[in-house]
Amino acid sequence: MTISGAFGRLYRGETTVDYYGKRRPAFIVSGVFMLVTVLVLIIGGLNLGIDFRGGVAWEAPATATLDADAVRGVLEANGIETANAKLQTLQGASGERIRVQVGDQTDAIRAAVQTALAEQAGIEVQEVDVAAVSSSWGRSITIKAIRALLVFFVLVSLYIAWRFEWKMALAAIAAMAHDVLVSVGIYAMFRFEVTPATVVAFLTILGYSLYDTVVVFDKVRENIDRFATSRMSMGNIVNVSSNQVLARSLNTTLSSALPVVSLLVVGAVILGATSLRAFAIALLVGMLTGTYSSIFIATPLFAIFKNREQKYAGVASQVAQGAEMAALYEHTTTRAAQKAAADSQAAGESSVAKNTSTSALTHPPRPRKRRRR
Amino acid sequence: MNRRLLASLVGIMLVAAVAVGLTVGAGNTPSLGLDLQGGASITLQPEGEYDAPSLDVAVEIIRSRVDAIGVAEPEIIRQGDTVVINLPGVKDQQRALDLVGRTGDLQLRPVLQSGTIDPTAGQGATTVPTATTVPTATTVPTATTVPGEGGPGESRGPRPMVDTTLPTDTTLPTDTTLPAGATAVPIDAAPPTELPAGAEVLLGRDGAGYLVGPVAATGLVFENNASANIQGANWSVVVQLRGGAAGADLWNALTARCYSRDNSCPTAQIAIVLDGEVISAPVVQEAIFTGGEVQITGDFTEQEARDLAKILEFGAVPVKFAVSQVQTVSPTLGTDSLRAALISGLVGLALVFLLMLAYYRFVAVIVFVGLAVSIGIQFSIITYLSKTNGLALSLAGIAGIIVSIGIAVDSYIVFFERLKDELSSGRTLRNSAQRSFEGAWRTVLAADTVSFLAAAVLWWLTVGSVRGFAFFLGLATLADVMIVWFFTRPAMLLLARSKFMVNRSMLGIKPPKITEGTS
Repeated sequence: MTISGAFGRLYRGETTVDYYGKRRPAFIVSGVFMLVTVLVLIIGGLNLGIDFRGGVAWEAPATATLDADAVRGVLEANGIETANAKLQTLQGASGERIRVQVGDQTDAIRAAVQTALAEQAGIEVQEVDVAAVSSSWGRSITIKAIRALLVFFVLVSLYIAWRFEWKMALAAIAAMAHDVLVSVGIYAMFRFEVTPATVVAFLTILGYSLYDTVVVFDKVRENIDRFATSRMSMGNIVNVSSNQVLARSLNTTLSSALPVVSLLVVGAVILGATSLRAFAIALLVGMLTGTYSSIFIATPLFAIFKNREQKYAGVASQVAQGAEMAALYEHTTTRAAQKAAADSQAAGESSVAKNTSTSALTHPPRPRKRRRR
Repeated sequence: MNRRLLASLVGIMLVAAVAVGLTVGAGNTPSLGLDLQGGASITLQPEGEYDAPSLDVAVEIIRSRVDAIGVAEPEIIRQGDTVVINLPGVKDQQRALDLVGRTGDLQLRPVLQSGTIDPTAGQGATTVPTATTVPTATTVPTATTVPGEGGPGESRGPRPMVDTTLPTDTTLPTDTTLPAGATAVPIDAAPPTELPAGAEVLLGRDGAGYLVGPVAATGLVFENNASANIQGANWSVVVQLRGGAAGADLWNALTARCYSRDNSCPTAQIAIVLDGEVISAPVVQEAIFTGGEVQITGDFTEQEARDLAKILEFGAVPVKFAVSQVQTVSPTLGTDSLRAALISGLVGLALVFLLMLAYYRFVAVIVFVGLAVSIGIQFSIITYLSKTNGLALSLAGIAGIIVSIGIAVDSYIVFFERLKDELSSGRTLRNSAQRSFEGAWRTVLAADTVSFLAAAVLWWLTVGSVRGFAFFLGLATLADVMIVWFFTRPAMLLLARSKFMVNRSMLGIKPPKITEGTS
């Protein structure tokens, strides 16, 4: 089995992308995204569902006698202002459904509209779904969610600071904030409705983003230990780490995203379970940004923090490229890397390559013993 | 070493197989949340002052009411102070709301006058009881029960154990209009004596009408320990008084008034009123209930006695609730969502399998079996919890499970990618497998800790669907750690040591030619 080309390099973990060098464009792109998000949030705000604002929603299958106008008529007959009512037509597996949302109503009106809609559509009363949320409840669950988020941020920072180091905690939190902001921005821009499922999705995104970041940071720490005795620049360390975990990152993203894409395509589009659609979209966006931010935001940011330290400040500008970078990987036995190392050593130009071949802790594999344990 | 690995591998697979076997064999399936099978859901939030024990009592009362209407598998959960009531299959939202939403005010009111209401007469004339048997309230130790009296045959006789001061022919003033069926109509004309403010005419459960004075005490004077007992041929209800000013003192003040038949309680009867209905109106037999226990005897059937006990015990919900969320989901929508979630879950799983197979070739078999074991164990746990703790699988929960597929697969990917690194640096498979597992284990543990932390925080601090999601995410994370240690580790290490792998390339990397290393 031979695997060649870019995919082969990826498969063998031999890619040599200079993520650290591309930090500025990445930061700018992300910065613009976040700025737009903040602007959209200020101008339009989020399209909050009734669970957060309070209100009543009815949902019924659309029939010949029940269309948007008929629904409006029913609302008006019950003395509800239709100007602010939100009417949606949803495509479902069992045909079209009409959903209408209004502000807080009394129990009596809620029941009356339900009955009236059922009569209008010529269906059983139970076929009309009703959801009602008091506005104080909506506020309280929003506050609860935000509080949970803050506690989560603090705990995670403490954990990462203890398990790794506090600069990593800082970078991880920044990446996490970035991911949520971008996902929220997409929700705000497309006016998707924010439901409890959306909150679940956002929180999952946090989890994923963090999970990804922790995996990369674990590698970074391993490499910091490996290059502990050499004067290796932080840029090199994060580049090597990011490249080493690239295959894993892509693979994991793909295998995590596949069920979500299937949720989106099979569940939401083909079967028409609309409640799943927004959830799947948020998740997908979040997963992609999570992978992106762990490599393009969290790690370079960590390198920048780290470059302020005495040990790394002096060599901050030394960042190996291409084959030289590959030479820094642990498995210097691969052909490309060996060749590169040999070339650069012959030319006597790179101090970086020399450093690794002499002082990095890459001992050759032990000879195989005949009897073990 | 090998033997231990093998034991772990076989052990975990056996555990999964037995768990799934038992679950399926017993015909158990996880119960479905409302959003997947349709029904009504109500979220209540306490208002005003309350404490944890009173919330517990409130939840008990609601549970007994729900049980009383026979909803299949009702789910009543306390999430912090919030009470969530899920009634699967309940179609009538309003009925469900009436059931759980009312506070069930249990009041004790002195009876000023009682009589029957003739619903046919337009000018509902309230006459003095003609067919009432009046239960009595006594302190338990004193043997003042009513033997035989008050039986069905005695309907027209004088009230037992009471020296009736109210002449039997006394009628209410004729100008007292009482619409038929009215339960709470203020008397608009004064009866012979001046009516105290707050007096009302209430319908009794026995069909009689009662003119009752203002609320003198609530159900809170009683402990929540009423019981129905049989004494001889009669059923009676015994309930303990709460101590202190809000309990026994209040009750005794009322009974002293009634026992002495003063103006505010001329009949010596105390009406037990629940939601505007007089459940029973026992005659007070003692001025002061020194024993701290109240016994109500009378012409009760067993059912009546039990009902009364339940009402005394649970009638008044000690907490006032606000309905903060109501939701009904039609069965069609629920089934649609379930089908969509299941199909897309399976399709997603199949796609992940294909990806693993394409990328890691035959090693992907380990991923398959590992996922199968993991899903089997989780399915059993979920089913078990849904049977014992009423855990219901909701849409958010399914989302959590689908998301957790990604986490589970990632553990394998982290492991395999490390293995690839080790292999390509020229180590033997045997050696590489051991080394890469150690590295991967550390990574997986760190990442899973973060995931679990997230799930735990969400579970503690949120309510509703987010909480459901957090539960399944947390469960999946724990399962992942377990599977990596008990399944993936032995499976990969054994595979790496097996004869099967000799001279076979793994993950696309050929074993190193044994030239220098054999000595």
